[in-house]
Amino acid sequence: MEYSLFIKPKELFIDIVNPHDYVQIDSVSHMYQSLKTSVQKPLKMILLYGRPGTGKSMLLHKLHHDLSKHQKVFMIDIPIIDENDFLRVLAQKIYGYVNREVITLTSFLELASAVNYPQTPLVLLDEAQLYSAALMEKIRLISDARALKFVITLHKTDDEDIIAKEHFQTRIWESIELRNATPDELKIYIQKKLLKSNCFDIANMINDKNIKIITKLTKGNYRDANKLMFSLFSLYAWFEEHYPNKINYNSLKPKWIEMAAIHTGLIHA
Amino acid sequence: MLDIPSLERRWLKYKIKHFLPYVALIVILLLIPIIMISLYSNNNASLPDIKKENNPKKIQLIVPMNEEPMVLEPSMQFIQSLPAPTSETNAISPSTLKITPKAVISQKSAPPIQSSEIKPITAVLPVTSSVIQTKQTNKPSSINRDTAAFDIHEIEERFKNNSNPHLGLYIARYHYDHTNYSEAYNYALKTNAINNTIEESWLIFIKSLIKLGKTDQAKKTLQLYISQSNSDSAKILLDSLEKEESK
Ligand SMILES: Nc1ncnc2c1ncn2[C@@H]1O[C@H](COP(=O)(O)OP(=O)(O)OP(=O)(O)O)[C@@H](O)[C@H]1O
Ligand SMILES: [Mg+2]
Repeated sequence: MEYSLFIKPKELFIDIVNPHDYVQIDSVSHMYQSLKTSVQKPLKMILLYGRPGTGKSMLLHKLHHDLSKHQKVFMIDIPIIDENDFLRVLAQKIYGYVNREVITLTSFLELASAVNYPQTPLVLLDEAQLYSAALMEKIRLISDARALKFVITLHKTDDEDIIAKEHFQTRIWESIELRNATPDELKIYIQKKLLKSNCFDIANMINDKNIKIITKLTKGNYRDANKLMFSLFSLYAWFEEHYPNKINYNSLKPKWIEMAAIHTGLIHA
Repeated sequence: MLDIPSLERRWLKYKIKHFLPYVALIVILLLIPIIMISLYSNNNASLPDIKKENNPKKIQLIVPMNEEPMVLEPSMQFIQSLPAPTSETNAISPSTLKITPKAVISQKSAPPIQSSEIKPITAVLPVTSSVIQTKQTNKPSSINRDTAAFDIHEIEERFKNNSNPHLGLYIARYHYDHTNYSEAYNYALKTNAINNTIEESWLIFIKSLIKLGKTDQAKKTLQLYISQSNSDSAKILLDSLEKEESK
Protein backbone atom coordinates (compact mmCIF):
# COMPACT_ATOMS: atom_id res chain seq x y z
CA MET A 1 0.00 0.00 0.00
CA GLU A 2 1.13 3.49 -0.82
CA TYR A 3 2.09 5.99 1.79
CA SER A 4 -0.96 7.21 3.62
CA LEU A 5 -1.23 10.39 5.62
CA PHE A 6 -3.95 8.93 7.82
CA ILE A 7 -2.63 5.52 8.83
CA LYS A 8 -0.38 6.86 11.56
CA PRO A 9 -2.97 9.10 13.20
CA LYS A 10 -5.42 6.26 13.02
CA GLU A 11 -3.10 3.98 14.96
CA LEU A 12 -2.54 6.69 17.56
CA PHE A 13 -6.11 6.30 18.67
CA ILE A 14 -6.19 2.55 19.14
CA ASP A 15 -7.73 2.04 22.54
CA ILE A 16 -4.83 0.73 24.53
CA VAL A 17 -3.35 1.97 27.77
CA ASN A 18 0.31 2.66 27.49
CA PRO A 19 1.96 5.05 29.96
CA HIS A 20 4.23 6.27 27.18
CA ASP A 21 1.17 7.62 25.42
CA TYR A 22 0.12 9.57 28.48
CA VAL A 23 -0.93 13.08 27.55
CA GLN A 24 -0.68 15.91 30.01
CA ILE A 25 -4.08 17.47 30.46
CA ASP A 26 -4.28 20.11 33.19
CA SER A 27 -7.06 18.58 35.25
CA VAL A 28 -5.67 15.08 34.86
CA SER A 29 -2.17 16.20 35.73
CA HIS A 30 -3.59 17.82 38.82
CA MET A 31 -5.23 14.56 39.82
CA TYR A 32 -2.08 12.71 39.06
CA GLN A 33 -0.07 14.99 41.33
CA SER A 34 -2.50 14.56 44.20
CA LEU A 35 -2.43 10.82 43.61
CA LYS A 36 1.35 10.85 43.83
CA THR A 37 1.36 12.80 47.08
CA SER A 38 -1.34 10.60 48.52
CA VAL A 39 0.79 7.59 47.76
CA GLN A 40 3.59 9.08 49.84
CA LYS A 41 1.30 9.59 52.81
CA PRO A 42 0.81 6.78 55.30
CA LEU A 43 -2.59 5.97 53.80
CA LYS A 44 -3.79 2.44 53.56
CA MET A 45 -5.98 2.63 50.53
CA ILE A 46 -6.47 5.12 47.75
CA LEU A 47 -9.44 5.01 45.46
CA LEU A 48 -9.48 6.20 41.90
CA TYR A 49 -12.96 6.20 40.47
CA GLY A 50 -14.94 7.50 37.56
CA ARG A 51 -17.00 6.47 34.58
CA PRO A 52 -15.60 4.00 32.05
CA GLY A 53 -13.09 5.58 29.72
CA THR A 54 -12.18 8.54 31.89
CA GLY A 55 -8.54 7.50 32.16
CA LYS A 56 -8.33 5.57 35.43
CA SER A 57 -6.31 2.75 33.96
CA MET A 58 -4.13 5.26 32.19
CA LEU A 59 -3.41 7.10 35.40
CA LEU A 60 -2.70 3.88 37.22
CA HIS A 61 -0.31 2.77 34.51
CA LYS A 62 1.36 6.14 34.57
CA LEU A 63 1.77 5.94 38.31
CA HIS A 64 3.20 2.46 38.01
CA HIS A 65 5.59 3.59 35.35
CA ASP A 66 6.76 6.64 37.26
CA LEU A 67 7.08 5.06 40.70
CA SER A 68 8.67 1.77 39.73
CA LYS A 69 12.00 3.56 39.29
CA HIS A 70 12.06 4.56 42.95
CA GLN A 71 10.09 2.02 44.94
CA LYS A 72 8.62 -1.40 44.98
CA VAL A 73 5.33 -1.14 43.05
CA PHE A 74 3.31 -3.89 41.56
CA MET A 75 0.30 -3.54 39.34
CA ILE A 76 -2.46 -6.02 38.73
CA ASP A 77 -4.22 -4.62 35.68
CA ILE A 78 -6.19 -7.75 34.98
CA PRO A 79 -7.94 -8.70 38.20
CA ILE A 80 -6.98 -11.96 39.82
CA ILE A 81 -10.31 -13.14 41.03
CA ASP A 82 -9.17 -16.24 42.86
CA GLU A 83 -8.12 -15.44 46.44
CA ASN A 84 -5.34 -18.02 46.59
CA ASP A 85 -3.93 -16.97 43.26
CA PHE A 86 -4.08 -13.36 44.33
CA LEU A 87 -1.93 -13.89 47.46
CA ARG A 88 0.46 -16.23 45.68
CA VAL A 89 1.07 -13.77 42.85
CA LEU A 90 1.66 -10.95 45.33
CA ALA A 91 4.06 -13.08 47.40
CA GLN A 92 6.00 -13.94 44.31
CA LYS A 93 6.05 -10.47 42.71
CA ILE A 94 6.76 -8.46 45.85
CA TYR A 95 8.70 -10.80 48.07
CA GLY A 96 10.12 -13.15 45.50
CA TYR A 97 8.49 -16.04 47.28
CA VAL A 98 7.63 -18.83 44.87
CA ASN A 99 5.34 -21.49 46.22
CA ARG A 100 2.78 -23.64 44.46
CA GLU A 101 0.89 -24.23 47.65
CA VAL A 102 -1.89 -22.15 49.05
CA ILE A 103 -0.71 -19.11 50.98
CA THR A 104 -2.90 -18.14 53.90
CA LEU A 105 -3.35 -14.57 54.93
CA THR A 106 -1.42 -15.21 58.10
CA SER A 107 1.57 -16.68 56.25
CA PHE A 108 1.37 -13.81 53.77
CA LEU A 109 1.58 -11.24 56.59
CA GLU A 110 4.48 -13.16 58.11
CA LEU A 111 6.26 -13.05 54.79
CA ALA A 112 5.63 -9.34 54.55
CA SER A 113 7.10 -8.61 57.94
CA ALA A 114 10.16 -10.75 57.14
CA VAL A 115 11.04 -8.71 54.04
CA ASN A 116 12.02 -5.16 54.83
CA TYR A 117 11.48 -2.45 52.25
CA PRO A 118 12.47 1.14 52.90
CA GLN A 119 8.98 2.13 51.77
CA THR A 120 5.79 0.16 52.04
CA PRO A 121 5.43 -1.65 48.71
CA LEU A 122 2.62 -0.29 46.55
CA VAL A 123 0.03 -2.48 44.86
CA LEU A 124 -2.10 -1.04 42.10
CA LEU A 125 -5.36 -2.81 41.42
CA ASP A 126 -7.22 -1.90 38.28
CA GLU A 127 -10.87 -2.78 37.84
CA ALA A 128 -11.37 -3.45 41.53
CA GLN A 129 -15.14 -3.74 41.13
CA LEU A 130 -14.45 -7.25 39.88
CA TYR A 131 -12.98 -8.41 43.19
CA SER A 132 -15.15 -10.36 45.58
CA ALA A 133 -16.14 -8.96 48.94
CA ALA A 134 -14.10 -11.69 50.64
CA LEU A 135 -10.99 -10.81 48.71
CA MET A 136 -11.53 -7.13 49.33
CA GLU A 137 -11.69 -7.92 53.02
CA LYS A 138 -8.32 -9.65 52.80
CA ILE A 139 -6.90 -6.67 50.91
CA ARG A 140 -8.13 -4.42 53.72
CA LEU A 141 -6.49 -6.60 56.36
CA ILE A 142 -3.21 -6.53 54.46
CA SER A 143 -3.32 -2.74 54.17
CA ASP A 144 -4.39 -2.39 57.83
CA ALA A 145 -1.34 -4.40 58.80
CA ARG A 146 0.63 -1.90 56.73
CA ALA A 147 2.19 -4.75 54.85
CA LEU A 148 1.16 -3.22 51.55
CA LYS A 149 -0.38 0.01 50.29
CA PHE A 150 -3.14 -0.22 47.72
CA VAL A 151 -4.34 2.04 44.98
CA ILE A 152 -7.50 0.70 43.47
CA THR A 153 -9.62 1.88 40.56
CA LEU A 154 -13.33 1.50 40.37
CA HIS A 155 -15.91 1.81 37.63
CA LYS A 156 -18.58 4.24 38.48
CA THR A 157 -21.71 3.19 36.69
CA ASP A 158 -25.13 4.72 36.66
CA ASP A 159 -27.02 1.77 38.08
CA GLU A 160 -24.47 0.63 40.58
CA ASP A 161 -22.51 2.98 42.77
CA ILE A 162 -19.88 0.66 44.14
CA ILE A 163 -18.19 3.36 46.14
CA ALA A 164 -21.34 3.65 48.17
CA LYS A 165 -21.07 -0.03 48.99
CA GLU A 166 -20.33 -0.60 52.60
CA HIS A 167 -17.11 -2.62 52.28
CA PHE A 168 -15.47 0.18 50.32
CA GLN A 169 -16.85 3.00 52.29
CA THR A 170 -15.17 2.14 55.57
CA ARG A 171 -11.82 1.45 54.05
CA ILE A 172 -11.21 4.26 51.68
CA TRP A 173 -8.86 6.84 52.96
CA GLU A 174 -8.60 8.97 49.95
CA SER A 175 -10.60 9.00 46.78
CA ILE A 176 -10.03 10.76 43.48
CA GLU A 177 -12.73 11.07 40.87
CA LEU A 178 -11.91 11.28 37.19
CA ARG A 179 -14.34 12.98 34.84
CA ASN A 180 -15.01 13.30 31.16
CA ALA A 181 -13.06 15.92 29.26
CA THR A 182 -14.31 19.39 28.49
CA PRO A 183 -14.05 20.53 24.85
CA ASP A 184 -10.80 22.31 25.66
CA GLU A 185 -9.38 19.23 27.34
CA LEU A 186 -10.45 17.00 24.49
CA LYS A 187 -8.85 19.39 22.03
CA ILE A 188 -5.59 19.28 23.97
CA TYR A 189 -5.84 15.51 24.19
CA ILE A 190 -6.32 14.99 20.47
CA GLN A 191 -3.87 17.67 19.38
CA LYS A 192 -1.12 16.59 21.77
CA LYS A 193 -1.51 12.99 20.76
CA LEU A 194 -1.08 13.93 17.10
CA LEU A 195 1.76 16.36 17.69
CA LYS A 196 3.67 13.89 19.83
CA SER A 197 3.79 11.65 16.79
CA ASN A 198 4.61 14.50 14.40
CA CYS A 199 1.26 14.41 12.64
CA PHE A 200 1.31 18.18 12.21
CA ASP A 201 -0.78 18.29 9.03
CA ILE A 202 -3.53 16.27 10.62
CA ALA A 203 -3.41 18.30 13.85
CA ASN A 204 -3.89 21.43 11.75
CA MET A 205 -6.98 19.99 10.14
CA ILE A 206 -8.83 19.87 13.43
CA ASN A 207 -10.53 23.16 14.19
CA ASP A 208 -12.66 24.24 17.13
CA LYS A 209 -15.86 23.44 15.31
CA ASN A 210 -14.66 19.89 14.75
CA ILE A 211 -13.78 19.64 18.42
CA LYS A 212 -17.24 20.82 19.35
CA ILE A 213 -18.81 18.09 17.26
CA ILE A 214 -16.42 15.46 18.61
CA THR A 215 -17.07 16.54 22.19
CA LYS A 216 -20.79 16.47 21.61
CA LEU A 217 -20.66 13.00 20.13
CA THR A 218 -18.32 11.52 22.73
CA LYS A 219 -19.49 13.59 25.71
CA GLY A 220 -15.80 14.15 26.40
CA ASN A 221 -15.10 10.50 27.04
CA TYR A 222 -11.52 9.60 26.17
CA ARG A 223 -12.28 6.08 25.11
CA ASP A 224 -15.17 7.15 22.88
CA ALA A 225 -12.97 9.90 21.46
CA ASN A 226 -10.32 7.30 20.67
CA LYS A 227 -12.82 5.08 18.91
CA LEU A 228 -14.26 7.98 16.97
CA MET A 229 -10.89 9.30 15.86
CA PHE A 230 -9.78 5.82 14.91
CA SER A 231 -12.71 5.21 12.63
CA LEU A 232 -12.57 8.78 11.32
CA PHE A 233 -8.99 8.36 10.20
CA SER A 234 -9.84 4.95 8.77
CA LEU A 235 -12.50 6.72 6.77
CA TYR A 236 -10.05 9.39 5.65
CA ALA A 237 -7.60 6.69 4.65
CA TRP A 238 -10.32 5.08 2.56
CA PHE A 239 -11.13 8.34 0.80
CA GLU A 240 -7.45 9.02 0.36
CA GLU A 241 -7.23 5.78 -1.54
CA HIS A 242 -10.45 6.02 -3.55
CA TYR A 243 -11.46 9.69 -3.86
CA PRO A 244 -8.46 11.76 -2.78
CA ASN A 245 -9.90 14.98 -4.19
CA LYS A 246 -12.84 14.71 -1.83
CA ILE A 247 -10.52 15.37 1.09
CA ASN A 248 -10.33 18.91 2.40
CA TYR A 249 -7.02 19.32 4.16
CA ASN A 250 -8.06 22.52 5.90
CA SER A 251 -10.55 21.01 8.29
CA LEU A 252 -12.29 17.79 9.17
CA LYS A 253 -15.57 17.21 7.40
CA PRO A 254 -18.43 17.28 9.92
CA LYS A 255 -20.26 14.79 7.75
CA TRP A 256 -17.38 12.35 7.95
CA ILE A 257 -17.12 12.83 11.71
CA GLU A 258 -20.76 11.88 11.93
CA MET A 259 -20.26 8.94 9.61
CA ALA A 260 -17.44 7.74 11.86
CA ALA A 261 -19.74 8.21 14.85
CA ILE A 262 -22.35 6.05 13.14
CA HIS A 263 -19.71 3.42 12.51
CA THR A 264 -18.57 3.39 16.14
CA GLY A 265 -22.12 3.38 17.43
CA LEU A 266 -22.00 6.84 18.99
CA ILE A 267 -24.82 7.75 16.63
CA HIS A 268 -27.60 5.24 16.25
CA ALA A 269 -28.66 5.29 12.64
CA MET B 1 -13.17 -2.80 7.06
CA LEU B 2 -15.24 0.34 6.49
CA ASP B 3 -18.22 0.15 4.20
CA ILE B 4 -18.28 3.77 3.17
CA PRO B 5 -21.26 3.69 0.76
CA SER B 6 -23.49 2.07 3.37
CA LEU B 7 -22.16 4.51 5.99
CA GLU B 8 -23.10 7.39 3.72
CA ARG B 9 -26.60 6.01 3.32
CA ARG B 10 -26.97 5.62 7.07
CA TRP B 11 -25.63 9.13 7.55
CA LEU B 12 -28.22 10.55 5.16
CA LYS B 13 -30.97 8.67 6.98
CA TYR B 14 -29.67 10.02 10.27
CA LYS B 15 -29.55 13.59 8.98
CA ILE B 16 -33.08 13.43 7.63
CA LYS B 17 -34.31 12.00 10.94
CA HIS B 18 -32.32 14.56 12.86
CA PHE B 19 -33.53 17.59 10.95
CA LEU B 20 -37.12 16.51 10.38
CA PRO B 21 -38.43 18.09 13.60
CA TYR B 22 -36.56 21.31 12.87
CA VAL B 23 -37.82 21.43 9.30
CA ALA B 24 -41.34 20.81 10.55
CA LEU B 25 -40.95 23.53 13.14
CA ILE B 26 -39.59 26.02 10.62
CA VAL B 27 -42.40 25.22 8.19
CA ILE B 28 -44.95 25.76 10.96
CA LEU B 29 -43.28 28.98 12.04
CA LEU B 30 -43.26 30.20 8.46
CA LEU B 31 -46.85 29.20 7.90
CA ILE B 32 -48.17 30.97 10.99
CA PRO B 33 -47.31 34.50 9.83
CA ILE B 34 -48.50 33.70 6.31
CA ILE B 35 -51.83 32.49 7.63
CA MET B 36 -52.03 35.43 9.99
CA ILE B 37 -51.29 37.87 7.18
CA SER B 38 -53.85 36.31 4.87
CA LEU B 39 -56.46 36.27 7.62
CA TYR B 40 -55.62 39.81 8.57
CA SER B 41 -55.79 41.06 5.01
CA ASN B 42 -59.14 39.31 4.52
CA ASN B 43 -60.53 40.98 7.60
CA ASN B 44 -59.24 44.29 6.45
CA ALA B 45 -60.45 43.98 2.90
CA SER B 46 -63.06 46.66 3.59
CA LEU B 47 -60.78 48.82 5.68
CA PRO B 48 -58.92 50.63 2.92
CA ASP B 49 -62.27 51.60 1.43
CA ILE B 50 -63.31 53.21 4.66
CA LYS B 51 -60.09 55.10 4.70
CA LYS B 52 -60.61 56.30 1.17
CA GLU B 53 -64.03 57.53 2.10
CA ASN B 54 -62.67 59.23 5.13
CA ASN B 55 -59.97 61.16 3.41
CA PRO B 56 -62.14 63.50 1.34
CA LYS B 57 -64.26 64.14 4.40
CA LYS B 58 -61.21 65.16 6.29
CA ILE B 59 -60.22 67.56 3.57
CA GLN B 60 -63.69 68.98 3.49
CA LEU B 61 -63.60 69.54 7.18
CA ILE B 62 -60.17 70.99 7.42
CA VAL B 63 -60.56 73.70 4.83
CA PRO B 64 -63.78 75.31 5.98
CA MET B 65 -62.88 74.94 9.62
CA ASN B 66 -60.25 77.59 9.20
CA GLU B 67 -63.06 80.03 8.88
CA GLU B 68 -66.20 78.85 10.59
CA PRO B 69 -65.73 75.46 12.10
CA MET B 70 -68.93 75.45 14.17
CA VAL B 71 -71.24 76.46 11.37
CA LEU B 72 -69.69 74.21 8.81
CA GLU B 73 -70.11 70.95 10.61
CA PRO B 74 -73.79 70.33 9.87
CA SER B 75 -73.14 71.18 6.25
CA MET B 76 -71.87 67.64 5.73
CA GLN B 77 -75.42 66.43 5.46
CA PHE B 78 -76.20 69.02 2.85
CA ILE B 79 -73.34 67.92 0.73
CA GLN B 80 -74.46 64.34 0.77
CA SER B 81 -78.04 65.23 -0.10
CA LEU B 82 -77.04 67.50 -2.94
CA PRO B 83 -76.64 66.24 -6.50
CA ALA B 84 -73.09 65.49 -7.54
CA PRO B 85 -71.45 68.81 -8.12
CA THR B 86 -69.58 69.83 -11.20
CA SER B 87 -67.65 72.99 -11.24
CA GLU B 88 -65.65 75.50 -13.01
CA THR B 89 -62.58 74.86 -11.03
CA ASN B 90 -60.38 77.79 -11.94
CA ALA B 91 -62.85 80.24 -10.61
CA ILE B 92 -62.83 78.79 -7.13
CA SER B 93 -60.23 80.07 -4.79
CA PRO B 94 -59.99 80.46 -1.03
CA SER B 95 -60.09 84.22 -1.39
CA THR B 96 -63.43 84.21 -3.14
CA LEU B 97 -64.65 81.79 -0.56
CA LYS B 98 -63.90 84.18 2.21
CA ILE B 99 -65.72 86.99 0.51
CA THR B 100 -68.80 85.03 -0.42
CA PRO B 101 -70.37 84.44 2.97
CA LYS B 102 -69.79 88.07 3.96
CA ALA B 103 -71.38 89.32 0.74
CA VAL B 104 -74.35 87.10 1.26
CA ILE B 105 -74.79 88.28 4.81
CA SER B 106 -74.50 91.92 3.84
CA GLN B 107 -77.34 91.59 1.41
CA LYS B 108 -79.53 89.96 3.94
CA SER B 109 -82.51 91.59 5.41
CA ALA B 110 -84.02 88.38 6.67
CA PRO B 111 -83.72 87.00 10.21
CA PRO B 112 -80.17 85.96 11.14
CA ILE B 113 -81.10 82.44 12.24
CA GLN B 114 -82.40 81.52 8.83
CA SER B 115 -79.48 82.95 7.00
CA SER B 116 -76.95 81.25 9.21
CA GLU B 117 -78.63 77.96 8.50
CA ILE B 118 -78.42 78.44 4.79
CA LYS B 119 -75.04 80.09 4.73
CA PRO B 120 -73.06 76.89 5.20
CA ILE B 121 -74.34 75.63 1.89
CA THR B 122 -72.80 78.48 0.05
CA ALA B 123 -69.63 78.33 2.03
CA VAL B 124 -69.05 74.61 2.05
CA LEU B 125 -70.21 73.47 -1.29
CA PRO B 126 -67.50 75.26 -3.23
CA VAL B 127 -64.85 73.76 -1.02
CA THR B 128 -65.97 70.22 -1.48
CA SER B 129 -66.48 70.55 -5.16
CA SER B 130 -63.20 72.27 -5.66
CA VAL B 131 -61.35 69.66 -3.70
CA ILE B 132 -62.87 66.86 -5.64
CA GLN B 133 -63.10 68.41 -9.03
CA THR B 134 -59.76 70.14 -9.38
CA LYS B 135 -58.13 66.79 -9.15
CA GLN B 136 -60.28 65.35 -11.88
CA THR B 137 -60.42 68.02 -14.55
CA ASN B 138 -59.18 71.46 -15.42
CA LYS B 139 -61.81 71.98 -18.08
CA PRO B 140 -64.50 74.43 -17.03
CA SER B 141 -67.74 72.54 -17.24
CA SER B 142 -71.07 74.10 -18.18
CA ILE B 143 -72.62 76.10 -15.42
CA ASN B 144 -75.62 74.77 -13.64
CA ARG B 145 -77.53 75.80 -10.59
CA ASP B 146 -75.31 73.87 -8.18
CA THR B 147 -72.14 75.61 -9.11
CA ALA B 148 -73.84 78.97 -9.19
CA ALA B 149 -75.29 78.45 -5.76
CA PHE B 150 -72.05 78.77 -3.94
CA ASP B 151 -70.92 82.02 -5.50
CA ILE B 152 -73.92 84.01 -6.55
CA HIS B 153 -71.80 87.06 -7.29
CA GLU B 154 -69.82 85.18 -9.80
CA ILE B 155 -72.96 83.95 -11.52
CA GLU B 156 -74.46 87.39 -11.48
CA GLU B 157 -71.30 88.51 -13.21
CA ARG B 158 -71.75 85.83 -15.80
CA PHE B 159 -75.39 86.66 -16.30
CA LYS B 160 -74.42 90.26 -16.91
CA ASN B 161 -72.09 89.11 -19.66
CA ASN B 162 -74.10 86.49 -21.47
CA SER B 163 -77.72 87.27 -20.49
CA ASN B 164 -78.61 83.62 -20.33
CA PRO B 165 -82.25 83.50 -19.10
CA HIS B 166 -81.59 80.21 -17.28
CA LEU B 167 -78.83 81.90 -15.37
CA GLY B 168 -81.12 84.76 -14.57
CA LEU B 169 -83.84 82.40 -13.41
CA TYR B 170 -81.34 80.61 -11.26
CA ILE B 171 -80.20 83.83 -9.59
CA ALA B 172 -83.77 84.92 -9.05
CA ARG B 173 -84.63 81.56 -7.50
CA TYR B 174 -81.53 81.76 -5.34
CA HIS B 175 -82.39 85.19 -3.98
CA TYR B 176 -85.99 84.24 -3.43
CA ASP B 177 -84.88 81.17 -1.45
CA HIS B 178 -82.57 83.43 0.50
CA THR B 179 -85.42 85.82 1.23
CA ASN B 180 -83.71 88.56 -0.78
CA TYR B 181 -86.99 89.39 -2.45
CA SER B 182 -85.92 92.62 -4.06
CA GLU B 183 -82.99 90.86 -5.70
CA ALA B 184 -85.26 88.00 -6.69
CA TYR B 185 -87.67 90.56 -8.20
CA ASN B 186 -84.86 92.23 -10.14
CA TYR B 187 -83.47 89.06 -11.63
CA ALA B 188 -86.86 87.62 -12.43
CA LEU B 189 -87.70 90.86 -14.20
CA LYS B 190 -84.44 90.74 -16.16
CA THR B 191 -85.03 87.10 -17.05
CA ASN B 192 -88.57 87.81 -18.22
CA ALA B 193 -87.21 90.60 -20.36
CA ILE B 194 -84.89 88.19 -22.07
CA ASN B 195 -87.36 85.35 -22.28
CA ASN B 196 -90.96 85.99 -21.29
CA THR B 197 -92.09 82.39 -21.63
CA ILE B 198 -90.44 81.02 -18.48
CA GLU B 199 -93.24 80.30 -16.09
CA GLU B 200 -91.07 79.92 -13.03
CA SER B 201 -89.43 83.26 -13.60
CA TRP B 202 -92.83 84.94 -13.73
CA LEU B 203 -93.97 83.21 -10.59
CA ILE B 204 -90.81 84.23 -8.71
CA PHE B 205 -91.36 87.79 -9.96
CA ILE B 206 -94.95 87.81 -8.68
CA LYS B 207 -94.18 86.05 -5.39
CA SER B 208 -91.35 88.50 -4.75
CA LEU B 209 -93.79 91.34 -5.27
CA ILE B 210 -96.15 89.76 -2.76
CA LYS B 211 -93.32 89.33 -0.27
CA LEU B 212 -92.31 92.92 -0.78
CA GLY B 213 -95.86 93.88 0.07
CA LYS B 214 -96.80 94.95 -3.43
CA THR B 215 -99.81 92.70 -3.63
CA ASP B 216 -101.71 94.88 -6.05
CA GLN B 217 -98.90 94.96 -8.55
CA ALA B 218 -98.53 91.22 -8.07
CA LYS B 219 -102.19 90.61 -8.81
CA LYS B 220 -102.06 92.74 -11.95
CA THR B 221 -99.00 91.00 -13.20
CA LEU B 222 -100.55 87.63 -12.42
CA GLN B 223 -103.70 88.40 -14.35
CA LEU B 224 -101.63 89.64 -17.26
CA TYR B 225 -99.49 86.56 -17.23
CA ILE B 226 -102.48 84.22 -16.96
CA SER B 227 -104.09 85.88 -19.93
CA GLN B 228 -100.97 85.32 -21.98
CA SER B 229 -99.84 81.90 -20.79
CA ASN B 230 -102.92 80.27 -19.31
CA SER B 231 -100.64 78.91 -16.60
CA ASP B 232 -102.32 76.71 -14.00
CA SER B 233 -99.74 77.50 -11.35
CA ALA B 234 -100.35 81.18 -11.93
CA LYS B 235 -104.10 80.63 -11.58
CA ILE B 236 -103.64 78.74 -8.31
CA LEU B 237 -101.39 81.50 -7.04
CA LEU B 238 -103.96 84.12 -7.94
CA ASP B 239 -106.71 82.13 -6.23
CA SER B 240 -104.79 81.83 -3.01
CA LEU B 241 -103.88 85.52 -3.21
CA GLU B 242 -107.54 86.53 -3.55
CA LYS B 243 -108.59 84.20 -0.76
CA GLU B 244 -105.91 85.74 1.44
CA GLU B 245 -107.24 89.19 0.66
CA SER B 246 -110.88 88.30 1.29
CA LYS B 247 -110.03 87.11 4.81
N1 LIG C 1 -4.19 11.41 30.01
C1 LIG C 1 -4.29 10.56 28.99
N2 LIG C 1 -3.34 10.48 28.07
C2 LIG C 1 -3.43 9.66 27.03
N3 LIG C 1 -4.45 8.83 26.85
C3 LIG C 1 -5.42 8.83 27.74
C4 LIG C 1 -5.41 9.70 28.86
N4 LIG C 1 -6.54 9.49 29.55
C5 LIG C 1 -7.18 8.54 28.92
N5 LIG C 1 -6.53 8.12 27.84
C6 LIG C 1 -6.95 7.12 26.87
O1 LIG C 1 -8.31 6.95 26.96
C7 LIG C 1 -8.71 5.61 26.86
C8 LIG C 1 -9.57 5.25 28.05
O2 LIG C 1 -8.85 5.46 29.23
P1 LIG C 1 -8.81 4.33 30.36
O3 LIG C 1 -8.74 2.99 29.76
O4 LIG C 1 -7.73 4.72 31.29
O5 LIG C 1 -10.19 4.55 31.00
P2 LIG C 1 -10.76 3.85 32.32
O6 LIG C 1 -11.21 4.95 33.18
O7 LIG C 1 -9.77 2.94 32.87
O8 LIG C 1 -11.99 3.06 31.78
P3 LIG C 1 -12.62 1.74 32.41
O9 LIG C 1 -13.38 2.21 33.61
O10 LIG C 1 -13.50 1.23 31.35
O11 LIG C 1 -11.47 0.87 32.76
C9 LIG C 1 -7.45 4.84 26.84
O12 LIG C 1 -7.21 4.38 25.52
C10 LIG C 1 -6.36 5.80 27.23
O13 LIG C 1 -5.20 5.55 26.47
MG1 LIG D 1 -9.68 0.90 32.99
